[in-house]
Amino acid sequence: MMRNRFPEPMRPALVFALLLCLLLAFDGALFIDGLARRKAEYATLAQLAVVTSGLGLTDLAVATEARYTRHPAVSDPVAPFMDHPGAIEHFPTGAFWLPPSR
Amino acid sequence: MTAMAQRNLEKQLNILDYALSSLWRRRLKSLSVLLVFAAVIFLLASFQMVTKALSDKAREVLVHTPEITLQKMSVGRQEAIPLAYRDRLAGIFGIRRVVPRIWGYYFDEVRLANYTVMGMAVEEMPDGARLDTALASGTMPGPAGQGLVAIGQSIKKALALEGRTTFSLFRPDLSLKAFEVSGEFSPDTDILTNDLVVMNLADARDLFAIPAGLVTDLCVYVANPQEIDTIAKKISETMPSVRVLTRPQIQKTYQVVFGWRSGFGSICLLTALAAFVILAWDKASGLSPEERREIAILKVLGWQTSDILVVRFWESVIVSGLACVVGMTAAYIHVVYFAASLFRPVLMGWSVLRPDLHLLPRLAAGDILLTLAFTVIPYLAATVIPAWRSATVPADSALGG
Repeated sequence: MMRNRFPEPMRPALVFALLLCLLLAFDGALFIDGLARRKAEYATLAQLAVVTSGLGLTDLAVATEARYTRHPAVSDPVAPFMDHPGAIEHFPTGAFWLPPSR
Repeated sequence: MTAMAQRNLEKQLNILDYALSSLWRRRLKSLSVLLVFAAVIFLLASFQMVTKALSDKAREVLVHTPEITLQKMSVGRQEAIPLAYRDRLAGIFGIRRVVPRIWGYYFDEVRLANYTVMGMAVEEMPDGARLDTALASGTMPGPAGQGLVAIGQSIKKALALEGRTTFSLFRPDLSLKAFEVSGEFSPDTDILTNDLVVMNLADARDLFAIPAGLVTDLCVYVANPQEIDTIAKKISETMPSVRVLTRPQIQKTYQVVFGWRSGFGSICLLTALAAFVILAWDKASGLSPEERREIAILKVLGWQTSDILVVRFWESVIVSGLACVVGMTAAYIHVVYFAASLFRPVLMGWSVLRPDLHLLPRLAAGDILLTLAFTVIPYLAATVIPAWRSATVPADSALGG
């Protein structure tokens, strides 16, 4: 019996399943790394708690460009319109941050 | 029974094979659809992960925020609150402690950066004695430490201290006030302390030239946390000109501030929706002659309408499922490993001091389902009609024409 010189190609469904497995294995690796990062984050949580209560902080230091995006929780409600009544918001971060509703 | 199930499975596998090879035959088109779709999902999922990570962090951290913060409002703006207001608070039962603070922003005209300056007696604050544990080096400035400050990481970088411990800031009358760094906040607390310069109350008063008897705000601590709302109400009844911010209000702000309705969120959403509409339109608007011919040949070979529908369904599932996995994985990598670098220009705007954001989104099944619901399910729904239209093409008309 003559053997086929070329092996039979894999069926497409199998190739796709392999590709999917590869992607999911990659996601699994990301997940395991995420668990390690989460552990490290828990370790710093105690420090963050001390800083917050020790200094009475009210806001995250994400954007420092305008006082109402540096401290959205405690800035006065008219701050974004401080230049004149009806002034348009002109700081870029104002586009990302929703004005706090009170 | 098992033989039938096996036959059915084999049939589905064959149809899947056919769908895959038909996608592969049109690989350029399939790949471009996949990439556009993955990009849409990437954008949506990245935005969702950034806002989720930030609001999660805020929720975890802001449980320790002052129970009640008092600000004086005048002409719709915040202004300095008299220390004498403390005496008026003394009459309200249930208040454990009132701590005055002077804080505000110092604009450094050389580096064009805004610093957040805080002056308070840290030893009066809850956990104030433990603040040293949050420092990378040194100690917190005590009540007697004239001119001593604790600074955040970005301040150290901005002032280019590198071994030096002294620097000066300008008072409003442009005279210089010298400071000495006694402590430095750990980089791990960057998300809170990045731009902070913490000093005692007297130094802050001197730096900002605030008259004696005035402070920026008062932190009020109550004996029983259950009574925060009741005491807040009593305070605003006693002093109507004072804005009373409670801990739950501050926490709520951060659950709202990064929302789908925020400007950038809606831009992302609109872009994604526009891209999706184009995709769906492309799918839905008529069949190409090749597609008609293909269906006609399949029908002549004995395929049924339902089989062709199943092929189209598998094609959509493969494209949208793959796009979803690729898009969401890319979004996670973007947010966690690249600190959402695409969004940073918008998230931080013209800020000069930028914290190192260590974002770690907590992905729940609900978030993944939300992204799926926004992308894959509409795509599947939009491909049903063209699939049905294609499957009902009469064989003779397609081949004869």
